[in-house]
Amino acid sequence: MTVGVEHYVLLSMALFAIGLFGILTRRNALMFLMSVELMLNAANINLIAFAFYHGNLSGQVFALFTMALAAAEVAVGLGIILLLYRNFRDVDVTVPTTMRW
Amino acid sequence: MEDVFNYAPAIALFPLVAFVVALTFGKYMPKKGALAGIIATGGSLALSVLMLVAVASGEVYHETLYQWAIGDAASEIGADGIEFTFGILIDPLAALMLVIVSLIAFLVHIFSLGYMNAEGETGLPRYYASLGLFTFSMLAFVYADNLLMAFMFFELVGLCSYLLIGFWFRTRSAPSAAKKAFLVTRFGDYFFLLGVVAIAATFGTVAFAGDNSFVAAAESAIDNGDTLFGFGAETWVTITALLVLGGVIGKSAQFPLHTWLPDAMEGPTTVSALIHAATMVAAGVYLVARMFGYYALSPTALAIIAFVGGFTALFAATMGVVKDDIKQVLAYSTISQYGYMMLGLGVGGYVAGVFHLMNHAFFKALLFLGAGAVIVLMHHEQDMWKMGGLKDKAPITYYTFLAGALALAGIIPFSGFWSKDEILYDALIVGLEEPVILAAYAMALVAVFFTGFYTFRMVFLTFHGEPRSEAAEDPHDIGWSIKAPLVVLGVLALVAGIANLAPVAKLAHIDITFLEHWLDGEYGAVEGLTYSAYGELLAFETAYIGGEQLTVLIAAGVSLLLAFSGAGLAWKLYSVPEPVAHKERLGGARQTLESNYYQDEYQVWLAEGFTQPLARAADRFDQTVIDGVVNSVSTASLFSSSRLKRIQTGLVTNYAALLVAGFIGLLLVLGYVGGWFL
Repeated sequence: MTVGVEHYVLLSMALFAIGLFGILTRRNALMFLMSVELMLNAANINLIAFAFYHGNLSGQVFALFTMALAAAEVAVGLGIILLLYRNFRDVDVTVPTTMRW
Repeated sequence: MEDVFNYAPAIALFPLVAFVVALTFGKYMPKKGALAGIIATGGSLALSVLMLVAVASGEVYHETLYQWAIGDAASEIGADGIEFTFGILIDPLAALMLVIVSLIAFLVHIFSLGYMNAEGETGLPRYYASLGLFTFSMLAFVYADNLLMAFMFFELVGLCSYLLIGFWFRTRSAPSAAKKAFLVTRFGDYFFLLGVVAIAATFGTVAFAGDNSFVAAAESAIDNGDTLFGFGAETWVTITALLVLGGVIGKSAQFPLHTWLPDAMEGPTTVSALIHAATMVAAGVYLVARMFGYYALSPTALAIIAFVGGFTALFAATMGVVKDDIKQVLAYSTISQYGYMMLGLGVGGYVAGVFHLMNHAFFKALLFLGAGAVIVLMHHEQDMWKMGGLKDKAPITYYTFLAGALALAGIIPFSGFWSKDEILYDALIVGLEEPVILAAYAMALVAVFFTGFYTFRMVFLTFHGEPRSEAAEDPHDIGWSIKAPLVVLGVLALVAGIANLAPVAKLAHIDITFLEHWLDGEYGAVEGLTYSAYGELLAFETAYIGGEQLTVLIAAGVSLLLAFSGAGLAWKLYSVPEPVAHKERLGGARQTLESNYYQDEYQVWLAEGFTQPLARAADRFDQTVIDGVVNSVSTASLFSSSRLKRIQTGLVTNYAALLVAGFIGLLLVLGYVGGWFL
């Protein structure tokens, strides 16, 4: 039995939903970062699955780009979280709400 | 002689250089800039005389010097392209006027040495710089070859008179008088500007002379029976001519825009001489003479010019009768005399009008400079009731002033008689056919009586009788720089009439009407700008009372009789050792005359009672409706954004939820539109 493309899509959807759930419900900034990572990887799975399905490599190349992007994002995100902790002695995202209007 | 015209631009540029020099270096110069002005106007005078000689030898000059814009003309008829240029047109009229203007400016500069420098005035560099600019603008206006250039220098003349009338800006009255002069003439110039635009838009050209002048274009439009802007060609010419006339009425101080001129006496007397004799006020009448061919096409415009002129002549003369200030009397006489010129031009008496313009330039400059001399003599007293007895103490001033007064009153054989008589004669022969002109003639004729009266009232009060104040008993000395211009102008006031002894020529059948030949282009002329060319355009009929010679005699006799009776009445009333005021005898008319027929009052009322509420209403409309729309738009967006910004909670979770909700919503909408759910 071959694994059809619909299985990959289902897997990626499930991962994305988990990540989204994490962002919508958690208050810890670190958890945010992890959830974002999950969503990015869900997208990666999609890209690779469809690349395999269509038989060309652009999707895989894009997945590599996304990984590089994710690494950069984590670096910036960790920096922000570090600053959050320094300023508010906490990594709870509901605390720093003063930076709005 | 051809080459001499290459120097024509220098005529106007000399005073401009003097303006710059006096303004920048005047402080360090020995006479505070006077010398620069004298040299420059002297140079202009010399060159102008050269031009006159060149024109007399049969040359004319019409050259475009600088072209500053070419455009597509949206003209009704005529050329496709319109050119705006600076050019010079020197024909007999311009050459004559150049000499007059530069001569008067030259003499005024010399006189200023005695009147301003010797009296220790401050701000002299400013004074001489303004005089230079004034002379420059007027000279450039005189030889402008197109209407737009004329308009530009016309405006500059107005600006300079503003500067000079307000010369003593530390007093209360001078700045106000300057503002009034500027605003009132500006009001007239507004119509002039409309006229320029209308003429340019109609004919696609603003040139005074040549084949593609607007005069020629208008003439052919009338001949072809064209329709211009929905009007018949002649009606449209009348409308545009009357618009231009607005500027003339403002500048030449004709009723109802004459009110600025008496107030303009706040300026130094030398400036009054320049304004009244050769520059500002003369500019208006000169403009009518310059584009006389255009006015000649419209009998209606001419009749209006004649009527306004005749009415102003009488109207101003009656006000001059009750004035106590020597300069005020002269101011009203100026308004009145320009009324005569307008009458002369309005009845088609082109030569007569120009002749009077010339003579008036000489004798009015003389009278104002004479009045300036009197003011110096009197230690700056201008009230005639404090003068008296100056005749023996200042004989040169007296005799020259008397020559000017005789010319002004129109007493034979002084210059004023010849030109005024010619105007009245021309008005009479046209008036016998046209009732409107006859009315204008009658008013001008009555004005002759008043002119004689107020002129000699002024002479007798100033120079005759016993001195009525300490200053009059012990007058201040006056120097050569005051006397020399007076003598020159005094001689001119006496002999300038020789230029055109028309009545003598008609009675004795000898050919001595030099000015008429001059303006008719017997020496040199631009085609179409001659007296006979204008004569062909004129539509006026003329008639005589029992033959030409008898008419000449009647016209001259009646005006002389009236002038003598006016002078005689003044002699009887005021030539006594201790004259007294006779104003009480005027009864109810006195108050009206002293208040100048309430002209200022009604104009102020018009400004305050009509224009100001109108402006206020417009302001209110602007503040409420226009601004209201703009403000309510911004208020609405401010209010809605202040509400909308509350969705920005600062919680990143909320933003993510909104993003997701938005995405899902979008998906649903697209799905619904795309028909997934069906």
